[in-house]
Amino acid sequence: MQKKTKLQSNGSVLVVGGGLGGIRAALDLAEARKDVILVDKAPCIGGLMTQLDRTFPTNNCDLCTVAPFTAKDSRGGHLDMRGLTTVTAVKGKEGNFTVSLMTAPRFVNVEKCTACGECQRKYPECVSFAPGLDPRAPTCMRYPKATPYAYVIDMAKCADKEGLKQCCPVGAIETDALPKVEEAQCGSIILAAGAALFDPSHLDYFGYAAQPDVVTSLEYERILSASGPTGGKLLRPSNGQPPKKVAWIQCVGSRGLQKGAGAYCSSACCMFALKEAMVTRERFDSEIETTIFYMDMRAFGKDYEKYLNRAKEQYGVRLVHSRPHDVLRPVGMDKLQILYTVDEAPKHITEEFDMVVLSTGFKMNEDVKKLAEDLAVELYADGFPKTDCFNAVATSVPGVYVCGTLQGGKDIPETMTQASAASCLAGAKVAVTPRPKAELPAVTPECAGSPRVGVLVTLCDHESTALDTTALVEYAKSIPHVVCAAAFEAACDPSSFDAVKAAILANGVNRVVVAGSSPRYELEKYQAMLAPVGINKYLIEVANIREQAAWVHAGEPAAANAKAKQLVAMAVAGVMAAKPLADHVVPANKNALVVGGGVTGMTAALELAGQGAKVCLVEKTAELGGVARNLVKTIEGGDVQALIADLVEKTTSHPNIKVFTATEIVDHSGQVGLFRTGLSVNGAYKEIEHGATILATGATPNQPQAFLLGENSRVCTQLDLQKVVNEQPKEVKKWKNVVMIQCVGSRDADNPNCSRLCCQSSIKNALAILKENPNARIFVLYRDLRTYGRFEEYYQKARELGVIFVRYSVDNPPKVEAAGHYANVTFTDVIMGRQVVVSADCVGLSTGFVASRKSNEALAKVFGLPLTDDGYFAEMHVKLRPVDMDKAGFFVAGCAHSPKVIAENLTQARAAASRAMTVLANDTLVQEAKFAHVDRARCAACLVCVRACPFDVPQITVDDKGLGRSYIDPVKCHGCGTCAAECPAKAIQLNQFEDVQILSSLDQLLAKVNA
Amino acid sequence: MEQFEPVIVAFCCHYCAYTAADTAGSQRLSYPVGVKIVRVPCTGKVDAKHLLTAFEKGADGVLVAGCLVGDCHFKDGNVKAARRVEFTKKYLEEIGIEAERLEMVRMSAGMGREFAETATAITEKIRALGPSPVKGKNCCCGKAA
Amino acid sequence: MITAERKPLEELLGYIAPYSRILLLGCNECVTVCAAGGRKEVGLLASALKMAARKSGKELQIVEHTLERQCDPEYVEEVASMVAQADAVVSMACGCGVQQMAMRYAKPVFPALNTKFMGGSERQGVWDERCAGCGNCLLGVTGGICPIARCAKRLMNGPCGGSANGVCEITPDVPCAWHLIWERLEELGQTEDYLEIIPAKDWKTAQGGGPRKIIREDLAE
Repeated sequence: MQKKTKLQSNGSVLVVGGGLGGIRAALDLAEARKDVILVDKAPCIGGLMTQLDRTFPTNNCDLCTVAPFTAKDSRGGHLDMRGLTTVTAVKGKEGNFTVSLMTAPRFVNVEKCTACGECQRKYPECVSFAPGLDPRAPTCMRYPKATPYAYVIDMAKCADKEGLKQCCPVGAIETDALPKVEEAQCGSIILAAGAALFDPSHLDYFGYAAQPDVVTSLEYERILSASGPTGGKLLRPSNGQPPKKVAWIQCVGSRGLQKGAGAYCSSACCMFALKEAMVTRERFDSEIETTIFYMDMRAFGKDYEKYLNRAKEQYGVRLVHSRPHDVLRPVGMDKLQILYTVDEAPKHITEEFDMVVLSTGFKMNEDVKKLAEDLAVELYADGFPKTDCFNAVATSVPGVYVCGTLQGGKDIPETMTQASAASCLAGAKVAVTPRPKAELPAVTPECAGSPRVGVLVTLCDHESTALDTTALVEYAKSIPHVVCAAAFEAACDPSSFDAVKAAILANGVNRVVVAGSSPRYELEKYQAMLAPVGINKYLIEVANIREQAAWVHAGEPAAANAKAKQLVAMAVAGVMAAKPLADHVVPANKNALVVGGGVTGMTAALELAGQGAKVCLVEKTAELGGVARNLVKTIEGGDVQALIADLVEKTTSHPNIKVFTATEIVDHSGQVGLFRTGLSVNGAYKEIEHGATILATGATPNQPQAFLLGENSRVCTQLDLQKVVNEQPKEVKKWKNVVMIQCVGSRDADNPNCSRLCCQSSIKNALAILKENPNARIFVLYRDLRTYGRFEEYYQKARELGVIFVRYSVDNPPKVEAAGHYANVTFTDVIMGRQVVVSADCVGLSTGFVASRKSNEALAKVFGLPLTDDGYFAEMHVKLRPVDMDKAGFFVAGCAHSPKVIAENLTQARAAASRAMTVLANDTLVQEAKFAHVDRARCAACLVCVRACPFDVPQITVDDKGLGRSYIDPVKCHGCGTCAAECPAKAIQLNQFEDVQILSSLDQLLAKVNA
Repeated sequence: MEQFEPVIVAFCCHYCAYTAADTAGSQRLSYPVGVKIVRVPCTGKVDAKHLLTAFEKGADGVLVAGCLVGDCHFKDGNVKAARRVEFTKKYLEEIGIEAERLEMVRMSAGMGREFAETATAITEKIRALGPSPVKGKNCCCGKAA
Repeated sequence: MITAERKPLEELLGYIAPYSRILLLGCNECVTVCAAGGRKEVGLLASALKMAARKSGKELQIVEHTLERQCDPEYVEEVASMVAQADAVVSMACGCGVQQMAMRYAKPVFPALNTKFMGGSERQGVWDERCAGCGNCLLGVTGGICPIARCAKRLMNGPCGGSANGVCEITPDVPCAWHLIWERLEELGQTEDYLEIIPAKDWKTAQGGGPRKIIREDLAE
């Protein structure tokens, strides 16, 4: 009965799972001009993120930033996306897999379906997806703007097939549709199908099964969500009333705490709970009391500690260090009671709450586990795949890679990084498939015509509780020359773009204002999207009503709405004054520059070189290897020195890699695809040309002035301690007491962030000491033990082996004093309620890392890149673009981004290489029309521009009338506009920022002031 | 009496202050609603004419927000901008507008908090100075009521 | 090039006090190059005048325009219709342009600039005086450095006693012209020129002989 066909595709990569990770991996490959098949068993793409209300640390939903790129006609035809599709069998091996794909019928003809919703109305049990809160229904649109934009029917649950078929006004329901089976050849496979969430139903002490007001964190997210069961109102499931007190209980299903829980830490739940608490207070009612019951607050990501501080200080989220043992609702009571104890007092506390959220962790998805088993991928007992200790995305089967939560619990930035890393490795196995490039649209005077402005409000309700988008649309319509305005609610949905394009064509729109988030995110997206309907990319203006109105003025809706209107009016004025412009196409350089010769830089260089790019690897010191040269082993037992030796050997012998040691970067110019960088190689100047740049400059081990470090021979850093354990085992055998102090020089005023790797490194060292000397007493004094992911298992092991973990508070830190042969450490044991003094043979300080501020600042200056407050390189988008930088063609990896362990650095190196390949795969490059031009009739040849230009571009040339006038070469101009600002004859204008554009915007901005 | 809410035009460099303002937004670090941002590719693009026009059209204060010294994407656009701001301040004084109403500030892209704090501090300063002395009901900008 | 500087706003406001419709007229030649009266400066002054007037409760209507050259009658003719609509003209040209306007139009014409000197640019934003227009050029014997425009005393035969360490006694910012001449002649190996006595100058060719005129008979109609 089944149709069986063979897909015509050679050398594809198969990506299983259409969540954020799968999408990222597929897009990276498609952008690097490799064929990809993306399959998901769900009818639409988006994965778990589609169910989230908002994500940390920006507290917004960013699906709309990613999804448009999956549109059917984008990515040069390299991306083949299939919903409702599962992998039924895999044969062959790396480089030559044959996979069988089965596409289940959706019973709805997508071509015919108009998404009118009639089938859903006729069958009232048919409702949109909301896990756990709504029964799943026969026809189900998973989220309101699902891609593709059509319904799907679960025929097994349908009793009245004929009735269902008849109810569709366009005859799109095909009750007898059959599954389609196909075979595909692929070189490699990426598993990105995500994880399942822990089900707490069996834990009766939390009351989840019995109490409607006890929900999981994802269910709470759905309640907060505009597309959720309450339509975005925060209401108690039990009585439909808004809650006044909400509690979160952490580590449900993680850290081996409950029956069926994984032994690992799920890594994302602490931040998830903080976000939910903040959003609750910010969006719903700042009077709602939010309390998080936690074990260790694991805010270990980049800038996450600051987020935690904001939650406490700015939002007043209450954090209670406790593991509640019961959630009850006494008979006749409306509220829930949480029973818990706190560190300070040994007594039971009973506190009432309206809602309790269980922060449920990740667990392996059974379907995925089955597929992994079919592929013979080795798994841990908990079902998650085993990966190499230096390559977190490589499974035991060559050619099969994993990323995202399928690999283990993690947040979105880490998922995105792993996805790119997996695509780097998977893509190395398949060749570039040539496809003809679309021609650039011609710029004609008709592009501009008489101005007909279309206003698209793309900020969905989801992100703009402060804004009334309907009123904004009405206001936009009232602005002269605006011929159409609409709230485009499906910015996350590629297929709904068709409606927007149709409206633009129908209204003869020739200029567009996008009212949404920052132009830094929106502009490029809409330029690409609207080009096919003839909108010149320079006749699009963005009104930043998200960052500049909805978000900053979230607390004052009236002001936010007024400002949003004004921003739209300004953008209309600006776009009215804009001119259509044409881009240039120039040949691109396909070489890469990697800055930093540590393990991260070498790995990135090798991945790029392996894909055919010529790489120049620049190292400041005389030797490759970086800070990792000081490390012996990873916590898993990986031999770091062997890794370095192997990397150095491969790097120095690779024909595509040129290594420059003792080399500094001295100057830099150009743009993506056409960079020129000047090097000082042992003092001699050398210039190289490259198309992309990866920064892997690492970070500096911190040496804070604290706890007698550098003064007392008994006190050392974890890095030193590790060396001692390795090199002087006899000394270690003599030790009676060892004290480790965490967060030294991290999470304080000078260095507010967490250094991430110190908790695991102290446990690694503790385990190593115990191996040499099982009788040593080891104390670890910590603030929050941040052994995320599988590091948690080593933490448990250390506890089992007798390592004593004692929490200290930041107001009452331990003291270290010299005491003859020993160092005396004094600290307060909260449980015993008294001070303890330990005469330590060794005090190991977890000093972590700080940014190499001075050298980063110098590099940032030469390259023109932003740094974060604490001196690390700033990525473009903390969540979705963790390795891309604001300047196109620049990528960051490793500790230069933020401190992390070796395996994570290497993953980031591969991710950066993957992102760089998306640039280097192109033979040509489109140069933006961002240059200054001279009105030669006005020019007085005064030389001001010639003298003012920072790049010596303007020249006085003789024109055909024999007049010497200024000429600015559009290819050389960097587009800063200094000449335009200084020209005394006002003969120079900068494209996209002409005076008339700025002055018209100013006019609008200040129109109300004088009215 | 209703509190005077100054209108401040902030010319922000795309690479630093504009991004800092986005950062302030994403961290929900509120700043006064009267601060309105005009994006420029570099503060080196900000013309004395733009600054004067902002005052002429009714701004109570004008902020030019560029990159930290040495961080300019275009080498020294921020330094040139600072010189133009000084020149314009003298012009303002001749006109009879307090020079403090115009200010050049420098920040990096990551400094969302600084952006919000600067915007707030300048608003407070201008609030103390009162409305711009050249802001009239009977202005000539054609849109006067 | 003729150099100029903007007059203080207060003086200009005084001139135009009786008028409300102003034509503000720039010139695209010398004053553009010396950043005193080109299109850009016209724009700035227009804004400034409007704001200053508004402070005293007056709304000025200013039409901004910049001519290719304000010292030629044909160019000046171009603005006839604009002048007709104005109560007064404020010219941002040098004195020559202001007078050309005043000669042509029967409307009050006020200078917005103080015309300073004939000079050259030392670097961006800095101009210094080089020529006094004496009508009888000496540069051929003074090493290309003018002792009339660049010496406070217009000495013709070497420095005065106030020259010390190469600078003028008036202010140390001004180099002594004769010191420069000597250095230059030394460089050129023409120090013997220095010994030539330059006879007393006939100032008739300069302004001393009253307003001057040049007539090219082959060109003049």
